[in-house]
Amino acid sequence: MTTFTRRRTLQFGMAAIGASAIPTFAIGQSDTRPSITIAVQKISNSNVLDVLREQSNVGERVFFTSIWEGLISRDWLGNLSPRPGLATEWRRTDEQTVELKLRQGVKFHNGDEMTAEDVVFSFSRERMFANSEAKNRSTIAAFERIPQPRPGKELPAEVPAAARRAWPDLLRVEAVDKYTVRFYNATPDVTLEGRLARYGSDIMSRKGWEEAASYLDWARKPITTGPYKVVEFRPDNSLTLEAHEEYWGGRPPLRRIRFVEVPEVPSRIAGLLSGQYQFACDIPPDQISDIEKNAAFEVQGGTILNHRLTVFDKNHAQLQNPLVRRALTHSIDRQAIVDSLWAGRTKVPAGLQWDYYGDMFHADWTVPEFNPTLARDLLKQAGYKGDPIPYRLLNNYYTNQNATAQILVEMWRSVGLNVQINTVENWTQIMARGDARGIRDWSNSAPFSDPVSSIVAQHGPQGQQQQIGEWTNAEMNTLSEFLETSTDRAKRKAAFRRMLEICEREDPAYTVLHQNATFTAKPKALRWKASPAFAMDFRPGNYV
Amino acid sequence: MLRYFAIRLGRAMITIALVVTFAFIVLRMSGDPAQIIMGPEAPPEVIAAFRKAWGLDDPIWLQYFHYFGAILQGELGRSMRDGRSAIELVTERIPVTLALTLPALAIKIGLGIPAGIYAALHRGSLADRVVMLLSVAGFTIPSFVLGLTLVLIFAVKLGWLPSGGQDSWRHAILPVITLGIGGAAVLARFTRSAMLEVLGQPFIRTASAKGVPWRDVIVGHALPNAAIPTVTIVGFMIGTLIAGAVVVESVFSWPGVGRLLVVAVANRDLAVVQCILLLVAATMVTSNLIVDFLYGFLDPRLRQNAGKAS
Repeated sequence: MTTFTRRRTLQFGMAAIGASAIPTFAIGQSDTRPSITIAVQKISNSNVLDVLREQSNVGERVFFTSIWEGLISRDWLGNLSPRPGLATEWRRTDEQTVELKLRQGVKFHNGDEMTAEDVVFSFSRERMFANSEAKNRSTIAAFERIPQPRPGKELPAEVPAAARRAWPDLLRVEAVDKYTVRFYNATPDVTLEGRLARYGSDIMSRKGWEEAASYLDWARKPITTGPYKVVEFRPDNSLTLEAHEEYWGGRPPLRRIRFVEVPEVPSRIAGLLSGQYQFACDIPPDQISDIEKNAAFEVQGGTILNHRLTVFDKNHAQLQNPLVRRALTHSIDRQAIVDSLWAGRTKVPAGLQWDYYGDMFHADWTVPEFNPTLARDLLKQAGYKGDPIPYRLLNNYYTNQNATAQILVEMWRSVGLNVQINTVENWTQIMARGDARGIRDWSNSAPFSDPVSSIVAQHGPQGQQQQIGEWTNAEMNTLSEFLETSTDRAKRKAAFRRMLEICEREDPAYTVLHQNATFTAKPKALRWKASPAFAMDFRPGNYV
Repeated sequence: MLRYFAIRLGRAMITIALVVTFAFIVLRMSGDPAQIIMGPEAPPEVIAAFRKAWGLDDPIWLQYFHYFGAILQGELGRSMRDGRSAIELVTERIPVTLALTLPALAIKIGLGIPAGIYAALHRGSLADRVVMLLSVAGFTIPSFVLGLTLVLIFAVKLGWLPSGGQDSWRHAILPVITLGIGGAAVLARFTRSAMLEVLGQPFIRTASAKGVPWRDVIVGHALPNAAIPTVTIVGFMIGTLIAGAVVVESVFSWPGVGRLLVVAVANRDLAVVQCILLLVAATMVTSNLIVDFLYGFLDPRLRQNAGKAS
């Protein structure tokens, strides 16, 4: 029989403590990766993590590249051009069909392998389109049986609408084999590859969807392939992500990422300076120099895929004459706005287009030149008598919005334009029809690398500006239709050029002020590079 | 007495009905939740789908009818942001806010009332002037200025406390102090002036003149009489326990009812705003009723008058 003396008991106790410490130590040794906290103004406007429900800039930040991934990815640290993602290669089988080879060995956050079945499901009625139809679908195909969603799994009404906006003519996606899928479109479309790379065309686990009790449960913790998986999402408060150890792109460099909502700018900066946060996002340009006075910190970031515009209502009595709208566009010193309000850290772009359009980009196109003499002359030709033009303004919805508006009004006043600011509270009031609608602010993005995603989507016949009755142009509408359906690249490029001429010069619908930018503050010691987007890239290789 | 409370209860119900109607008119007339929640770049068909799903394309009078009818049936609706039940959303935030406002109330009472009494009993002394100076400073400094100053000192410079968030009890220290100081200052001023008024009354002179010890005069006669205005202010503070920390919650990124209210109003998320307003109105009405009871308990004359009236 074993007897327990005091010494033996002590020895046993010490051994037990030692033994219990070993695994802890071992775990600590095996995972020395840092965990970081990122202070953001907002995590998700819609309180879910579904790419088709949360379509905001703030959503892009937490989704990409940490959680969601598409078949075609982007060069997130370069010019955002297409890169192989969950598909390694793709080819056209005809003008309406794209075939993609899936990357093998990609694991979802639940450990399952991604196959063609998951891709088909990600573009299914159950997940994306519900009972919405492709715009140009044949009547025979319309006899397909539309499955009813299970109780609790009904999609929010705006999800199928957003999905159809992204894929207006997608008929179906077919699994050719375990690692090959084919996308069938109802019409010829040169933008299919672009649409595959866009926000919202990302892949999810079918099993993950089926195992979730409800849409909301799934949308709070989607099972995807990104380098980090959702541990906990507390709406309006925090989002905690954890490294996905089986990530196909290598071992994620961070153990945990925690996004916390800190609505006030001073609080975000204070938390950064005190070491509570490693990153403070959404830093206004006027705070950059103050933060960088501290040699240990820097502010990164810059231009994003979004331009700030001033938009015109051509039905307003004073704006019916395009010469007046042209005068408005020629009396803006855009570079002065960039230099004074943005510390020179953004730029005046080449109209409503982005470099990543590639072949479709018109490098020689510019915004209307700053020419007050020409503006005065145009007003004289128009017979403008100085009648007031209303300018509906939101209180700093956009960065520097109020200051920009005041500068614009003074620039316009200096050439004889009488523009009067009317501050309102929200977008409904901004867009409300009537005599008081003349000029307003807006911004336009380009979700994929083709003008269809921007000038057509925002100013074409289905775009917001025409839908709310601000502006229309018959030639522009014909060209929009052409740009959406033509596969002749040279003719498409020429059509786009003509659209820029109409919308920005001849019959101005809007004028581009500058490219938008976002700024992120961090300690200099952290070796991380910001993307030219809201997205924050913490994949292997970008956090050392 | 019963009639007295029945009338008060009836008034409270009318007040709540008016609050709910006012909330509907202001929120629905000043913005379309679909456009606000979906954002300015949302395609028109997405906005239309959202409007249809939430009944926002019905005539406004019909929307009000549905809205009010649902409230009468105890149905407080769902958040248009994520479809969750509004009452569930709000109730999960209440303990988070109370974690700030209850300790802050303790600071307000524990610091403000003794300071006010002390200042009144030492009227004109250096201590009185110091208490009053701090009190004026306490309630004139806006809470966001005080909060950010505390963050600058204790989080950025000294590194003793976190600057914001809700991860541990240490995160609550600065917001509780910020909330507590302003309220304590208000209570100190009210208590001091109430005490000074009572100390000048003939019954205090009489009690002193007939030889009652000064301590007994204060405890037995001055304090109960001075308590009425102080109880009124404390009652008001209890009424603000649920949604009285909007600014402080924003400064310290504290995810309580106040921040939910800000987000819900900004998004015109009617069901959530309505739920919070009902809760605030109910808390206010309840605290007023408690104060009414306390008046009767503290001042026998009010009890007698109420008895005579009934």
